[in-house]
Amino acid sequence: MLRFVARRLTGMIAVLFAISVIVFLIFNVIPNSNPAIRIAGKNANPELIARVSADLGLDQPLWVQYLTLMKKIFTGTLTSYASAQNVTDQIWRGLPATLSLTIGAAVLWMVLAVVFGYLSAIHSGRFTDRALTILSLVGISMPVFWLAAILLYFFTFKVQLFPTSSYVPLTTDPLRWASHLILPWLTLAVLYVGFYSRVLRSNMLDVMNEDYVRTARAKGLPERQVRIRHVLRNSMIPIVTLFGLDFGAVVGGGAILTETVFNINGVGLYAGRAIGSLDLPPLVGVTIFGAFFIVFFNTVVDILYAFLDPRIRLGEAAAA
Amino acid sequence: MAAPFSEVEVADEPPLPTGVPLATIQGRSPWYLAGLRLRRNKVALAFGGLFIVIVLLCLAAPLWADHVAHTTPDANHITDTIDVGGTQVDIVSPDGTPIGPGLRGQYLLGADQNGRDVMVRLLYGGRTSLFIGVVSAAITTIVAVVVGLLCGYYRGWIDAILSRVMDVVWAFPVLLLGIALGTALAVGGLSLGFTTLAGDSVWIPILIIGLVYVPYMARPIRGEVLALREKEFVEAAVAQGKGSVRIMITELLPNVVSTIIVFFTLNIANDMLLESALSFLGAGVRPPSASWGTMIADGYQTIYTAPHLTIIPGLMIVLTVLSLNVFGDGLRDALDPRAKIRLEH
Amino acid sequence: MSKFHKAVTASVVAALTAFGVAACGGDTGDSASSGGGTGGGDVNVTMTSFPDYVDPQLSYTVEGWETLYNVYTPLLTYKHAKGEDGTKVVPGLAEAMPTVSPDGKTYKLKLRSNMKYSDGTPIKASDFTYAIQRLFKANSGGSVFYETIAGAKEYAGGTANTISGIVTDDATGDITITLTEPNGTFDSILGLTFAAPVPPSTPLDKDATNNPPPSSGPFMISNVQAPQTMTLERNPNFKTVKDAGATEVADANVDKITITQNKSNTAQVTDIEQNRVDYMSDPPDADRLAEVKSRFADRFRMEESINTYYFWMNNQKAPFNDLRVRQAVNYAIDPEALNRVFGGRLHPSQQILPPGMPGYQEFKLYPGQDMNKAKQLIAEANPADRDITVWTDDEPDRKRIGEYYHDVLSQLGFNATLKVISGDVYWATIGNQSTPDLDTGFGDWFQDFPHPDDFFRPLLNGASILPTNGNNYSRANYPELDAKMNELRTKQLEDPGVKDQYAALDKAYMEQAAWAPYGNEQYTTFLSERMDFDKSYRHLLFSQDFSSFAIK
Repeated sequence: MLRFVARRLTGMIAVLFAISVIVFLIFNVIPNSNPAIRIAGKNANPELIARVSADLGLDQPLWVQYLTLMKKIFTGTLTSYASAQNVTDQIWRGLPATLSLTIGAAVLWMVLAVVFGYLSAIHSGRFTDRALTILSLVGISMPVFWLAAILLYFFTFKVQLFPTSSYVPLTTDPLRWASHLILPWLTLAVLYVGFYSRVLRSNMLDVMNEDYVRTARAKGLPERQVRIRHVLRNSMIPIVTLFGLDFGAVVGGGAILTETVFNINGVGLYAGRAIGSLDLPPLVGVTIFGAFFIVFFNTVVDILYAFLDPRIRLGEAAAA
Repeated sequence: MAAPFSEVEVADEPPLPTGVPLATIQGRSPWYLAGLRLRRNKVALAFGGLFIVIVLLCLAAPLWADHVAHTTPDANHITDTIDVGGTQVDIVSPDGTPIGPGLRGQYLLGADQNGRDVMVRLLYGGRTSLFIGVVSAAITTIVAVVVGLLCGYYRGWIDAILSRVMDVVWAFPVLLLGIALGTALAVGGLSLGFTTLAGDSVWIPILIIGLVYVPYMARPIRGEVLALREKEFVEAAVAQGKGSVRIMITELLPNVVSTIIVFFTLNIANDMLLESALSFLGAGVRPPSASWGTMIADGYQTIYTAPHLTIIPGLMIVLTVLSLNVFGDGLRDALDPRAKIRLEH
Repeated sequence: MSKFHKAVTASVVAALTAFGVAACGGDTGDSASSGGGTGGGDVNVTMTSFPDYVDPQLSYTVEGWETLYNVYTPLLTYKHAKGEDGTKVVPGLAEAMPTVSPDGKTYKLKLRSNMKYSDGTPIKASDFTYAIQRLFKANSGGSVFYETIAGAKEYAGGTANTISGIVTDDATGDITITLTEPNGTFDSILGLTFAAPVPPSTPLDKDATNNPPPSSGPFMISNVQAPQTMTLERNPNFKTVKDAGATEVADANVDKITITQNKSNTAQVTDIEQNRVDYMSDPPDADRLAEVKSRFADRFRMEESINTYYFWMNNQKAPFNDLRVRQAVNYAIDPEALNRVFGGRLHPSQQILPPGMPGYQEFKLYPGQDMNKAKQLIAEANPADRDITVWTDDEPDRKRIGEYYHDVLSQLGFNATLKVISGDVYWATIGNQSTPDLDTGFGDWFQDFPHPDDFFRPLLNGASILPTNGNNYSRANYPELDAKMNELRTKQLEDPGVKDQYAALDKAYMEQAAWAPYGNEQYTTFLSERMDFDKSYRHLLFSQDFSSFAIK
């Protein structure tokens, strides 16, 4: 077990290093323009730009530049071109909103996905299944921001059920926190429900043909118990892995579209604003944050998952 | 060569005694069988047809623009008027309200606040979005196939390195990677050695979207190639002295073709969604060019008073992506009913 | 259906109901108000673009001035009144209007005594000098107005350590300013936020946005998270300013103002309609205007505003360095079309000065759109370089204007690329010499003070081509016109013939087609139900006067 964990952790660090190199390439090497102009800030004049160029070591070899950037990121001194603010601070500030959005949506989509996937699988081929499959397919075919705009139009304007925008922190007022987040939760959830319910459905259909299910039925267990205790439970395993990937992806920046439409001040909106200002440091910060979060989260899920799997827990040899 | 997933074995018939009428047994290729299965799936065919209709409509954009609407997608007609039932109506009224949809050749879907013909923009925008979707899917496919073949066949250190690179690219949230690249390249464009792409060139989003999805396709292909590699026919080819590249192209590639076809179709759908997201955020197609994503961004500003400007381009995306998804599913069921191919999300 | 199904259905229904209940609760408005009365309460404000700088010496946008007018008080200030009355200069932190020497070159003022900033630091006369020094060292766009102070140029150039023309005595509060020549605008510019004293703890050569200097007005800045939000709260030490006799500086009527950025104009309009937000800084977008006018007439009105909207063209770079090309653009644009993009709030005009500005006299060099003439001029000029970049910001109507302009330029045969930049960095981006490809783009200018020099100097004077924060986006540099401008400034506006000469200057610049102006915009005030609509007014120079905000 320990060897497994150690291997995964070293793998994780290697991937994180590679990510940082790619981010460096994207922002400092590939673009065709002089980064010093941007870094010197809104108020820069030619002398300041020259000073910053020297400061940044733009004449230094690439690996030195890379180390400078990494130092900035990890000592939390990366600052935005446009607002001279610390990028790390801003990401921390946006995190509660993004987490509220993602966790709420995740709960919603998992619950609905399990329900829909389960119903689809046990009624496979019949009307319920067909209807739910169509709904799922439509759900994964919708652009998230379009759905957000439509929901905004119908439920905040046509019928004034919910507030239009912005985020109210949980600590300020839990009821308003929730009411401001319901539409965003629904928006994010629709996309993933479709996908997850279909994966669950096909997993369940596969598992239902397995021998141990047949044994359970032969033992005389009521059908519902068979379905839930054996089929559903075992079908959930790949779902958990996928969930890890997606949850990480949404927190790591996938929520940007929902946050933009609903004006929720999370990490995603922070990155979205940086696009319009051509402000690269926030994008560097959020990209690294996002990628790191995904890799870290997945490693944790993998390790937990392995911990639950007795084959790995009990011995490396058994897993081979 | 026998394909590994053939359903029907073509058996050699022992010679029959003469004089007995022979009922000819026809050998059926797996492709023919797949086609049969697909033809039975009416829903998939219907949606496939829908996709073709959408593509044809969008390709016909210049015809519509020239002969029916008499304008171009970017032309502003703010102070012009058109003839509606005998009276001259302002395309954009003095207080800024654009004309709404109506049954006529010009401004069929109404105008936007710049006096542009929404129908014309919709068709041209479709061309752009479809073009980006198909070309980037093609790029993804080509790169993924090469990577998958190389990894699966050679294994060893080539596999180790390429797989690690794939893992790293996979770790990035797709949207954020697209935004990062799109914004970084916006200022000065991209110099590719032999040419420089301007910051607003449509090839920048194409390249970005194409590269971002490579791991999603390369991994499954690699997995299949790894499995195929162990089969006897590959061993036989090696024994025959065929070179590696020839083996990859003539032995392995044909057997992953069905996977490739399915992934390619589903990938177009994903790419179109990503393009619309990037364009909506301002990191994809640049204004004033039309794409379905930029049209939604424009329409969003007036969503409360002219919701059709937002709803219609989005609906086009949904229909196109949905038809690709349904048809892609149908293809998958037809080509591999044992559902070995699973597109990782 | 089976029991399991019933359970699932029941739980789904329960969950949705719970969500529904949660949704319906707590929707009575976003601010925790402390009730009615003449003082108190928290107000919510939204803006499409956040202030460019939260720094009195640097901020130069409408949003910035709106926020800072009631936070930083200069020696003189503008009367807190609406209409033309509000353009009168009155004593602020100084005891009285300055005494001017007969030759017009020496101004004497006295700082009121015993005043403190919001953090308790005493306000000193030398803080005024420090503020002027910041204008130069921090590269402020407003520095162009203060160059006539003796010694300012040397200080800015680095050859002097202080500005010799400003002498202060902290003990008595005396301030003596010497100019290099008489200046008819000097009272006016002493009243701009640029000249507001700040303590020497403020960084001399850097933007103070993230840690703004302490306040000398009725509100202080308690929190800044640029570009998302900032909070103003009552200044506990404003009493010291009032007690020192500053009667013209208005007091606050609410306890707190929270300013939030929201890129969607239409969402802001809906928020005000539904009383979730109290005030929006921008006028409602064209498509909502009719609805707001008709349904919310009791809390909406149109407002007078003195401004000019124009397209700047880089006079020093091809292709716009050719007079014929610039004239072609002036013939090609259609002010009426642009008016419709604004929802009918634009008064079409193709000259530099707006109506309402002293020195404005209407003339029509360009009789309205004439595409043929424009194309003919382009054909004559036949510019070799047809690749141009068109700039605009991302506010909804600016983006549409940019797209319209892009179309016009394309019709003229240019290969135009549109660049849409976020509103809070747009001006700094196009005002920065190092930004590449600054060919042409969207511009607007709102009156800073009621004197035509305010339009000509920062926007068209050759000496205003600054490396950063410059406002002369057109890089206009016409020495004879500059000389005329400088000469006119030494006179007083009321002197005979001065206004006519300013009108002539307007025409001269339009003959050079330095710009392509197209109109003057009418503004609006739209408030939530709970705000006292009659009390709140829009100041001609500083937009909505936050000290006039009061809850009914």
